[in-house]
Amino acid sequence: MSPARTARNPSFGLVAAMLATLAVGAPLFNAEGAPPRSVFLQLPADLPEPQVSLAATRTAKGYWQLRIDADGFRFTDLCLSDAAAIPVGHAHIIRNGVKVASAFFPVVDLGQLPPGKHHVAAVLRGQDHRALVGRSGLIKADLLIVVPESRPDSLHAADAVAEST
Amino acid sequence: MKGHLQASRVLEIVPLTLVFAFAAATASAHEAWLLTPAEIEALVAEPMPALFASHLWLGVAAVIGAALTMIALIAEDRLRPHEQRIAAPLLAGATAVGPMLLRFGMAIMLVLAGTGGLPRHGTALWVEPTLLVPDMQLGLVFGWDWLAAAQIILALALAVGLLARPAGALLIGLSFLGMMLFGAPFLAYAPHFAAPGLILMLSGGGAMSLDRRLGLDDVLLPSPAALKVGWRLSQILVGAGFLYLAIAFKLTQPTLLIAILDHGNLPTFGMPQPVVALIMTGIEIICGALLIVGRLTRPVALAIIAAITTLAVGLGETPLFHANLYGIMVFLLMAGPALPDARVSFAGYRRAAT
Repeated sequence: MSPARTARNPSFGLVAAMLATLAVGAPLFNAEGAPPRSVFLQLPADLPEPQVSLAATRTAKGYWQLRIDADGFRFTDLCLSDAAAIPVGHAHIIRNGVKVASAFFPVVDLGQLPPGKHHVAAVLRGQDHRALVGRSGLIKADLLIVVPESRPDSLHAADAVAEST
Repeated sequence: MKGHLQASRVLEIVPLTLVFAFAAATASAHEAWLLTPAEIEALVAEPMPALFASHLWLGVAAVIGAALTMIALIAEDRLRPHEQRIAAPLLAGATAVGPMLLRFGMAIMLVLAGTGGLPRHGTALWVEPTLLVPDMQLGLVFGWDWLAAAQIILALALAVGLLARPAGALLIGLSFLGMMLFGAPFLAYAPHFAAPGLILMLSGGGAMSLDRRLGLDDVLLPSPAALKVGWRLSQILVGAGFLYLAIAFKLTQPTLLIAILDHGNLPTFGMPQPVVALIMTGIEIICGALLIVGRLTRPVALAIIAAITTLAVGLGETPLFHANLYGIMVFLLMAGPALPDARVSFAGYRRAAT
């Protein structure tokens, strides 16, 4: 079949029309430049943005408890496949770059932490696990926990430091 | 000499194109969960690549894509006799082996979904039964836990080839049910489960099926006209599925695709990542569109089989995530543009080809 005949072929015409439509439509859609909706859930600009802060305390037995204060956010253990863009959901707890827990309540047990520095972050997630995005990016808080070198049986809460970063 | 040069050029271009095609076909919904917290934090701040927001560049890409499509269509027309000759053995086995592989592929996905054996990245094994795919956890839809057992029973029926055509109809039903229960997110998967269901309704259980041994292969046997229409419809479904994935997850979320490329350390051949992402997107769109119009079925199927495999290796995923697509693509590769009549012998196909 010659190029001229192929150009008139309905199959080619349909493929070409699809490509042309996408070339026109995609830039209009992408102009907004929103972060990928498969991973992020953008909160509407007219909603107050949740404010998150973290605090950590160590129990007498050496376990670390993380407290998430999230003003304007409601924790729930109810998950959905397609959540609305509202400040409701849970938090992902990340320690030294690795997700260690999903927090469906504002208090999370981190367990015993080995001596050293532990960068802990709590990132708010929607009910479908997508990361909530506010006006300045992810809605999160960070905390640095420093656990001193010492034998477990001699640990005291005062030995360790937990400070927001 | 000129011929040698052309041949070597083709040898350079073909693998490159195939790698892009392979990568293009796979990065679907669940890959997003592979990203690490640091990658997600970086991703939120990534600006939209200018290439994907430019009418000029997307227009140029569309013209190039259309030109390549035209060349491929002309090549298909001219090489059709060769394809028919080469594919004759595949075609002869299509009605026996094709359905068998499709049944096994679907059975694997169903039994793993029903038992929680194919969990989403970061979820423990055997804990969360899902509907067909790792993302769709049955725990999210109250009162539908029984679908786990239903999928396992359906998987067993497909594995042994018992009432394969009705099982195919149930598979279509599960795809629609998934859209009802999970809403828009299930659109990424539904066509690629409804299509194998439809194909099984058309083809029956094939080789090594109880249907053939028990004489049940005629249950819900379609008419020749329904066979023809159904085969086209199944190709349209498969193609539409890829087209949707290309638009929803690549063309309109290119930074996610680029992040996945980064995560898997996939080759970019020295090109800027947005260009690679655009090539991948374009190839997937064209592959989907060609399946929709029923052209170049075998080359597209071959490209997608290689794509699934390459991406699974590159991203460290199990190929079982795409067992349904393997089944469909092998069937398309064997059967080509028209589902063969099971009564025509291998010798008959060879005679027809020559």
